[in-house]
Amino acid sequence: MNVLETMKKCIREALPDLDMVMGWEQGFDTLHATPLFMETAEDVDRLILGPTCVQSLAVHLPSLKGKKIGVVVKGCDSRAVVQLLSENLLNRENLVIFGFGCDGVVSLSRLKKKLGALDFIESAEKKDDRLCIEINGEQQDLPFDDICAPKCLTCSRPNAIISDHFAGPQRTPRIPAKGKTALEKFEEKSLPERFDFWKAQMQRCVRCYACRDSCPMCVCRDHCVAVSRNPHFVSQEATASENFMFQLIHVMHLAGRCVSCGECERACPMDIPLGLLRAKSTEVTSALFNQEAGLDQEAVLPLLSFNIEEETIEEHD
Amino acid sequence: MPPSNDLKDGGELRIIGFLCNWCSYSGADAAGVARLEQPTDLRIIRTPCTGRIDPLFILRALINGADGVLVSGCHPGDCHYVEGNFHARRRLETLKRILPISGIDPERFKYTWVSASESGRWQETVREFTAKIHALGPAPRMTDVVSRSKDLSLEGLLLQDENGGA
Amino acid sequence: MHIGVFVCHCGSNISGTVDCPQTAKAAGEFPDVVYSTDEMYTCSEPGQESIIRAIKEHNLDGVVVASCSPRMHEATFRRTVERAGLNPYMFEMANIREHVSWVGRDKALNTRKAIDLIGMAVAKLRNGTPLFSERFNVTRKLMVIGGGVAGIQAALDAADSGIEVVLVERETTIGGKMAKLDKTFPTIDCSSCVLGPKMVEVAQHPKITLYAASEVDNVSGYVGNFTVQVRKRAVYVDWDACTGCGLCTEKCPSRKTPDPFNELIATTTAINIPFPQAIPKKATINPDYCLQLTKGKCGVCAKVCPVGCIDFEQQDKIEEVQVGAIVVATGYDLFDYSVYKQYGAGKLPDVITSLQYERLLNASGPTGGHVLRPSDGAEPKHVVFIQCVGSRDKSKGRAYCSSFCCMYTAKQAILTKSHLPDSQSYVFYMDIRSPGKGYDEFTRRTQELYGAQYIRGRVSSIHQHGSSLVVRGADTLAGMQVEIKADLVVLAVGIEPSRNSQKLAATLHISADTDGFFMEGHPKLKPVETNTAGVFLAGCCQGPRDIPTSVSMGSAAAAKAMVLFSNEQLESDPQVATVNATRCVGCYKCVKTCPFGAILESEDRWKNPKAEVLPTICKGCGICSVTCPHGAIQLNHFTDNQLLAEVNAICPLPTI
Ligand SMILES: Cc1cc2nc3c(=O)[nH]c(=O)nc-3n(C[C@H](O)[C@H](O)[C@H](O)COP(=O)(O)OP(=O)(O)OC[C@H]3O[C@@H](n4cnc5c(N)ncnc54)[C@H](O)[C@@H]3O)c2cc1C
Ligand code: SF4
Ligand code: SF4
Ligand code: SF4
Ligand code: SF4
Repeated sequence: MNVLETMKKCIREALPDLDMVMGWEQGFDTLHATPLFMETAEDVDRLILGPTCVQSLAVHLPSLKGKKIGVVVKGCDSRAVVQLLSENLLNRENLVIFGFGCDGVVSLSRLKKKLGALDFIESAEKKDDRLCIEINGEQQDLPFDDICAPKCLTCSRPNAIISDHFAGPQRTPRIPAKGKTALEKFEEKSLPERFDFWKAQMQRCVRCYACRDSCPMCVCRDHCVAVSRNPHFVSQEATASENFMFQLIHVMHLAGRCVSCGECERACPMDIPLGLLRAKSTEVTSALFNQEAGLDQEAVLPLLSFNIEEETIEEHD
Repeated sequence: MPPSNDLKDGGELRIIGFLCNWCSYSGADAAGVARLEQPTDLRIIRTPCTGRIDPLFILRALINGADGVLVSGCHPGDCHYVEGNFHARRRLETLKRILPISGIDPERFKYTWVSASESGRWQETVREFTAKIHALGPAPRMTDVVSRSKDLSLEGLLLQDENGGA
Repeated sequence: MHIGVFVCHCGSNISGTVDCPQTAKAAGEFPDVVYSTDEMYTCSEPGQESIIRAIKEHNLDGVVVASCSPRMHEATFRRTVERAGLNPYMFEMANIREHVSWVGRDKALNTRKAIDLIGMAVAKLRNGTPLFSERFNVTRKLMVIGGGVAGIQAALDAADSGIEVVLVERETTIGGKMAKLDKTFPTIDCSSCVLGPKMVEVAQHPKITLYAASEVDNVSGYVGNFTVQVRKRAVYVDWDACTGCGLCTEKCPSRKTPDPFNELIATTTAINIPFPQAIPKKATINPDYCLQLTKGKCGVCAKVCPVGCIDFEQQDKIEEVQVGAIVVATGYDLFDYSVYKQYGAGKLPDVITSLQYERLLNASGPTGGHVLRPSDGAEPKHVVFIQCVGSRDKSKGRAYCSSFCCMYTAKQAILTKSHLPDSQSYVFYMDIRSPGKGYDEFTRRTQELYGAQYIRGRVSSIHQHGSSLVVRGADTLAGMQVEIKADLVVLAVGIEPSRNSQKLAATLHISADTDGFFMEGHPKLKPVETNTAGVFLAGCCQGPRDIPTSVSMGSAAAAKAMVLFSNEQLESDPQVATVNATRCVGCYKCVKTCPFGAILESEDRWKNPKAEVLPTICKGCGICSVTCPHGAIQLNHFTDNQLLAEVNAICPLPTI
C-alpha cells in the first residue's frame, strides 16, 4: 500500500471517534491543493498527499479546541502542533495526529517567477527530484529544488515529529545546500539600506493580514492587537510605518514561538520577504535561550521564564 | 499646537526614557535633588516595573521617529516585584538583537540598571546616552521618501529564487 | 474631558530655570485642557484650595499638576482632587522639578521639556479611567518567624497589646544566639539573666502560641490575610505530654551526639533538652544518632519516660495558620571560616570561633565556665583574638562589616582576664569600631584596665607547634612582623544571613540585598518595613546589629503591626491588573509570569478558559500585561493605551 492509501486507511479507522479530520484535496487544478475537512468515510476518498499540500492545517486547530479533531501533518506542520500543545492552546486528548514523511512542497511564487503566470495548468506531478508540469499546453520539467518552498531546501525534520499514526516510510532529512541563506545575504547590507528596503516593502503591503491569518501561532484572531483600539498599538492606516509596526508586533509576539513554517511569507500576496524578520528572530532566540520552538511539548516559552544569571546576556551595567 | 513639537530646532533630539518607579525613577529624582546637571533631550515615562515595559512601546517610539530610547530599572535581583527585571532582561535583550534586521540602529536603544541610590550613575547614563544619540544624529523615518531606484536595486537580492531560502 | 493644569513654581525651585507662566499658557493648548494656571506653591494649603476651586468652577474631571516628583506628592494631590469630588486616579503629575528644573540649566530648553512632560501627562490622563479601592477585613493575628531576642521582643510587645501572636522557631528552643552568650557588652551582665525571664514570659503568655522545631513552608495571601503553612518537624516526643523532667536524657546510651547548642565543642545525648532554661523545655530525639531510629534497637527512653511520651513513629506535621502580618526575625549564622587556609582551615583544635568561646566562658557551658582549651583541657595562658574573619574581606565575598565583633572581642578579652587573671590577650584588628553609648569607653577599658594588647594588622598564618600555636602577623602601626606563641586562638567570625534565607525571601516575596540580608522598605524611613505590605523585619536578618538594636527593631516591627491592626478594614490599591474576558483566549501565559500567583486559571459561564486576577494579591507590576500578546490583561492606571499615549505625545504618530 502506498503512503496515501495507508493514510486513508488510518483516517477511516479513526474517523468514527472524531468530529472531523483535516487534510488536503485537490483545488481548482492539480497544482493547487485546498484544505479538506473529512467527516465521513467518503470524504476521505478525496484526500491527497504530495508537493502541493503546502498549507499548514495546524492553523485551524486552536479555534477547534474542545472538538475531537484529527489532523494530517507534514514535518513542519507537526512542529506547530507541538508548539500549540506546549502553550496550552490545544488539548492533546482531543487531538489525533496523522503524520507522514514530507518530500517537499512547491512554492507557487517561485514557480510563478519561473513560468510567468500560473494559469491553465493541465497537470503537475513530482517525479523524483523534478516537477513535471503541463502548462498552457506545454510540458515543463523543472528541477524541484528550483521551485520548492525555500524552507524545504534546508528542512531537517521532514517527518512529523509527533503523531498517533504515521503513514509510509520515514524520509531522510536533506543536507542543507551550501551557500548563504537569504538572511545572511540581507545582513550584508548596511542598516540604512535595510531600513530603506523595509520602507519600500512596507509601502507595498496592503494590510490584508494574510501573514497573520496563516500563522499557526497567531491565535488571537478577532482580538489581534493589529485591529484593536484597546490596546491601540497600531493604527489602521496602511502606511509604511504602520505596516512595519504591525510586522514588528508580529515578530515580537512570535519571538521564541515561531516554528519557522514559512506560512506567513507563503501567504503574502505581495511576495514581501517576511521570512527574513522571522528568521532573524528565531536566530536571536535560539542563540539567547538555546531553545527552538515546536520541538518539545513540555518546554516553557523562553520569554515566559528567566534565569537569575543569564549566561548568554551580558550584564548591562 | 504647543511650540515644542519640533524638537530639532533647539538642537535637541527626541529621546524617550522608560523607568521603573522604584529604582531608576527614584534614582533620577535623587539626581535632581543633588542637582546633577544633565542634557535636556530625555523625556521620562514612569512605569511601575521594567516588567511592565512592552518591547512594543519601544518599537512604537522608534517607528514614530524617536531618535533614542533608554530603559532603566532595578539591578537584577533587586526588583521590587522580585522577578520583573528578570523578565524585562529577556524581552529587552531579544528586542535589542532583533532590531538590526529592521534597519533601526540598535545603538538607538539602550537598557540598563540604575538603583535609587545611584544618582551619579544616572547622570552618567543620561549624559552618555544623549551624547551617543547626538553622534548618531536624527533617526531615519519611515515617512521619508525612498527613491525608486534604491528599491529596485534591493529587490533582486532577496526574492526567493536563489538557493538557501529564508 | 475637562482637564485643568497647574504649573508649580515651587518658590524658585522650578521657576528659576523654567518659564512657568509660559508653560502654563502652552499647556492650555493641549487637547481637553480647559484651564491652566501657574501657582507659587501648589502643595501648600492655598495651592490645594485653588485646585479645588478650579475643579468646581471649571467643572474639571481631570487634573494635571506639574511640580515635583510623583514619588513626593502624588498622594497629597490625589487627596486634594478627591476632596473636590474627583476620582483620585483622574490625576496625573508632570515631574518638572527633579527631572527638569534641577537638572537642566537652559531655561528655554527646560521650558520646552516641561511643556512636553505636561503634554504626556495630559495624554495619559485622557486615557485614564476612575478606579475604586475595595475594602477588606484584617486578621488581627501576628506571626513572628525566628525566636531570637529580636523575635521574642516583637512577640511580647505585640502580645502585650492584646494581639494574638504565633511564634515560629526553627530550633527546639527559642533564644537564638543570645541564649548561648555568657555576658554581654557593654555592661558585662549575664546574658541568660536578661533573656531568661523574657523566654519564660513567651512560654506563659496567654496570647502567644509557640511552634518550636518548626519552619514556614509556604505563604499565600496578602497584607491582612496571609495563610501560612507551618511545618512542625518530627521530634519523636509528644510535646504536649513531655514534662521536661530529663530522665530520658540521663539514661540515653547514645552519648556521642553532636551538640549544636554548644557549637559542637561538646556532645550530648540522642534525646536531649538543649539547655536547662530551654523554652519550650521539651526533649527532642536526634534521629541521626538515636539507636532505635537508626538500628531499630534500644528504646531506653521510652522505657524510662514516666509519662510515656516517646513516639518513634512521629512524622512532620503541616499546620495552616491565618495571620494578618508577619515579622521576620531569623537572625544570622556564622561565617564558615574554613575557607581561610591561613587560620588552619578549621583543622586546628585550639583555633575556635567566638561563639564557641562564649560557650567555654559560660557557667552553663560544657566546661562549667572554666576556660579550658579543646585539645588537652589545659587552661590557656596566651589567648589570641583575630577580628574580621569573614568580614570586610572582598576576596571572600564578604565586603561588609559584621558590626558587633569589635565589641564582643573586647568583651571576651575582659572576660578572659577575669577568668584567668594570669592570662594575656592579644587582639589582631583592622579598625576598632565602637560607635555606641559607652562602647568606645569599653574597648579602651579592655586595653587600659585589662591589659589586652591590641595589634593593628592581619594574621598571615597559624601553625601548630608542639602543644601551642604560633600566630604570625603584621603589626602595621609598628611596621613589623609579629609572632605570638598562643595556647588558644579565638576567631571573631563574621556573620551571614541565616541559612535558607533566600528561600524564605522567595516564600515571603520580599527581597534581599547583595549580601543576602533582607531589604528594608527604605534605608532611612522604612527600616523595619519591606516592600511587601504586612511583612516587617527585626534583628540581624536585615543586617548585622547588636542586641540593643535588635531589640529596638523587634519593638518597632511590633508597633508597625499594631498600626496595621488598628484598622478594622484595609483598602486595596486599585492599580492592579484586570482581564478583559472577551479578549482572553485562556492560554494562561500570564499565570506563568505573575510572580505573586495573583492570576487564577478560571472559566467563564460557558466553560471557556479565562484568566482571573485576584485584586488583593496583585501587586501591580504589570509583568502579565506584557506577557499577553493581545493585551487582554491590562494594568490599571498603566494600561497599554495610557503608556502609548505618552509615547505618541512626545513622538506623534507619523502621517504618510
Ligand atoms: C560571639 C558573639 C558574641 C556576641 N556578644 C554580644 C554582646 O555581648 N552584646 C550584644 O549586644 N550583642 C552580642 N552579639 C550579637 C547578638 O548575638 C545579636 O545581636 C543577636 O543575637 C541578634 O538577635 P536576632 O534575634 O536578630 O538573631 P538570632 O539570635 O540569630 O536569632 C534568630 C532566631 O531565628 C531562628 N531562625 C532562623 N531561621 C529561621 C527560620 N527560617 N524559621 C524559623 N526560625 C528561624 C534561629 O533559630 C534563631 O533562634 C554577639 C554575637 C556573637 C556571634
Ligand atoms: S511567524 Fe511565520 S514562520 Fe513563524 S510560525 Fe508564524 S507563519 Fe510560521
Ligand atoms: S500578531 Fe500578535 S496579537 Fe495579532 S494574532 Fe498574532 S500573536 Fe496575536
Ligand atoms: S489574559 Fe492573555 S495571557 Fe492571560 S490567559 Fe488570557 S490571553 Fe492568555
Ligand atoms: S500586575 Fe499582573 S503579574 Fe503583576 S502581580 Fe498583578 S496579576 Fe501578577
